[in-house]
Amino acid sequence: MLRAPMFRALVLAQLPSRAGILFTTSRMQSNAPAKAPEKIEVFIDDQPVMVAPGTTVLQAAAQVGVEIPRFCYHERLAVAGNCRMCLVEVEKSPKPVAACAMPVMKGWRIKTNSDMTRKAREGVMEFLLSNHPLDCPICDQGGECDLQDQAMAFGSDRSRFTDINHAGKRAVEDKDIGPLVKTIMTRCIHCTRCIRFASEVAGVDDLGTTGRGNEMQVGMYVEKLFLTELSGNVIDLCPVGALTNKPYSFVARPWEIRKVDSIDVLDALGSNIVVSTRTGEVLRILPRENEDINEEWLSDKSRFACDGLKRQRLITPMLRKPDGEFEAVEWESALITAAQAIRNAPKDKIAAVAGSLVDAEQLVAVKDLLNRLGSELLCTEQKFPTADGTSGTDLRSNYLLNSSIASCEDADLVLLVGTNPRYEAPLLNTRLRKGYVHKEQDIAYIGPEVDLSYRYEYLGNRSLTIEDIAKGKHPFAQRLKQAKRPLIIVGANALARNDGKAYIAALQSFARQLKPEDKNWKVWNVLQTNASQVAALDVGYKPGVEEVLAAQPKVLFLLGADGNAVNKENIPKDCFVIYQGHHGDQGAQLAHAILPGAAYTEKQGTYVNTEGRAQQTLVAVSPPGMAREDWKIIRALSEVVGTVLPYDTLDELRNRMEDIAPHLVRYGHLEENNFYAQAEQLIKTQASSFQGDVDVNQKSLEDFFMTDSITRASPTMAKCVAAVKKAQATG
Amino acid sequence: MARYFGIDKIGKLFSYIQQNGGIRNTLWKMYRMDEGKAGTLIGTDKYGNKYYEDPTQFYGRNRWVEYVEHRNLEYDGSQIPAEWFGWMHYKTDLPPHRDGNRKHYKWMADHSENLSGTTDSYMPYSTTRPKVEAWDPKKSTAQ
Repeated sequence: MLRAPMFRALVLAQLPSRAGILFTTSRMQSNAPAKAPEKIEVFIDDQPVMVAPGTTVLQAAAQVGVEIPRFCYHERLAVAGNCRMCLVEVEKSPKPVAACAMPVMKGWRIKTNSDMTRKAREGVMEFLLSNHPLDCPICDQGGECDLQDQAMAFGSDRSRFTDINHAGKRAVEDKDIGPLVKTIMTRCIHCTRCIRFASEVAGVDDLGTTGRGNEMQVGMYVEKLFLTELSGNVIDLCPVGALTNKPYSFVARPWEIRKVDSIDVLDALGSNIVVSTRTGEVLRILPRENEDINEEWLSDKSRFACDGLKRQRLITPMLRKPDGEFEAVEWESALITAAQAIRNAPKDKIAAVAGSLVDAEQLVAVKDLLNRLGSELLCTEQKFPTADGTSGTDLRSNYLLNSSIASCEDADLVLLVGTNPRYEAPLLNTRLRKGYVHKEQDIAYIGPEVDLSYRYEYLGNRSLTIEDIAKGKHPFAQRLKQAKRPLIIVGANALARNDGKAYIAALQSFARQLKPEDKNWKVWNVLQTNASQVAALDVGYKPGVEEVLAAQPKVLFLLGADGNAVNKENIPKDCFVIYQGHHGDQGAQLAHAILPGAAYTEKQGTYVNTEGRAQQTLVAVSPPGMAREDWKIIRALSEVVGTVLPYDTLDELRNRMEDIAPHLVRYGHLEENNFYAQAEQLIKTQASSFQGDVDVNQKSLEDFFMTDSITRASPTMAKCVAAVKKAQATG
Repeated sequence: MARYFGIDKIGKLFSYIQQNGGIRNTLWKMYRMDEGKAGTLIGTDKYGNKYYEDPTQFYGRNRWVEYVEHRNLEYDGSQIPAEWFGWMHYKTDLPPHRDGNRKHYKWMADHSENLSGTTDSYMPYSTTRPKVEAWDPKKSTAQ
């Protein structure tokens, strides 16, 4: 009963101060040097600016709001300095300097708009354009092309390019690098951003250059695919149209598109996205910058699975006829049939199972409806170890990625148990890789051997190792104890096993024993895999379907439950199954009544990510056909059942959500967790033993692409799986 | 004199009524075709439409068709077959049964009337793919 109002009030009162302390301390530790070095003064177009030593000319100019054109420079990648577009004049320097690579010196007077600077830019632009094809009208980058924009802003106003001999421009053969990225290599201006991204962020050293001068080419050296879970980001990075989105090619122009800010739900990170739509159709998904979650990257699944939103959709309510066939019906008869089944069932025999893509609004509405009817049988598809009944999930710190996604890169020693972050949460993996590359982070891993894109200390896949570490017998336990900022990340799938209790019992108490340098450093972290799991546990769903199915429910709500936790074998025989969801997948096949809901691009829904941050999706397109927003379906059903839910608008529902769990409506805010000791006690009751070795669900890239009902319906994802399998078969 | 005062029109009216077969039939004809006039029957086409001529009417109103009785008020110009079209539109003064020079080829299609507005009217079907493909429960159970 720790969710009482008093308890909430306590948490709230502590919140602001605690959050403030944690934020400053962890940041100071990671970044602040021992003594702040003296700042030096430079002049950008005669404006004085004080900058730290080592700042480049380009960064100094950015501080006073002077934008220097660039192609190769990117804030999150190493400096290459090979495009020469950022040349600026420095007073008393005989030659222009490359602003992206040159650190400023004391008293420099930098002229970003002098004759010399402009001449240098125009010269660079002229050389770039003399070998760049004039195919802007058929180029997919047209309208969002850096080369177009900068040629307009900084290029010469007339051309000296006359090809009187019709010799033609330089041409380069295109490369086939997979089903996601289309290459038109003639357009390449050799900025090498894609190469640097692949080797630094994605950790696949496949891209590179061959030849030099006019013969230089960017490519893979040999004919092969660019196989990484982050390959789509090179499309965003490419300043020209050399690397473009293959499924989106020749589909739309940027000025025709309507852009809606939203949240990705295909993994538990809640990456920020921009959904591009035209005429009620989702055309593409791009990342949106959020330093706390996805920086500016996006995983391939989140980016390219959007065509799954147009296939296999449930667009009309359906009822199963006596002969077992589905029949499309009107909402009225579907709701009446469902309501009849609910009314005829004994009040404690109505159950609900929440799948992986459900928003908090629906979760709350269903829970309110079932509780009002007198049932407590609500659960999530994915299991989570509980001591007795529900007490394992009463305190949030048990099931969250407590240390936050952003500070994962600040850890100095990370232990991954039963999780493959590369495929379960690709953008958390880039954080770990960033820590590994730039901040001397060490990573150890327990589980089957996988490629995490960085070197890790492999501790084997025996569960015995976990026990040894927890008891301090393993040498790695000592290292964790000595670490300043240790991190233990356990996969939700490991905890969802039957012996998940043993994992949590062993590792969580061990995490409590560790004494990180900073008192507020969180050691215990769970990496969730389902976007809905945290919100479901927050509002009081029980994890795991066993208990609910054991109660032999007469009516079972499947809320997008397509994960095969409920299937033909374990479903009670005389149970009336109501499937509410957006895709015809495993769950819909079991149903007696299908209520078509909205997918995440079609509703305003709340999702809580694995670190406990509530974010909301916004409506980009309307739900197809007769499908409706999910909470509205439940509200309408409650009317027919006769137990009317007390909210008519989204705002009223969100007020109700705030009553249950206030953090659900504090969008973008990371709620601080505490009560670690109590949380550990709650979950640690009877000791249980490990069964079998540590395993992860997604071992290689082919397991990454199709994990839920949207991605399973996506033709692009199917192509990716086929391409990966083919690549593995051939070499 | 009679023409000057327009008294011959009264005589004409009586002759129309006579040709139409009584007042009742004349009123029915006026109801159906907004016209009570009668003329010389020139011919009948394959559908039973009757073609009349009255040279005393002025040009443009001196040839007309009386559609077959069972069409009632549901008649329109496209029910005139191609053979009679020329005569009706003063392309020729020879009605089809008196014109021996008409060519008949076997590739000539039979006349068809305009079906717009009826259930048999032509309706083009969409060739674009639907934006959203619905789930087909039969297909997925077969998998």
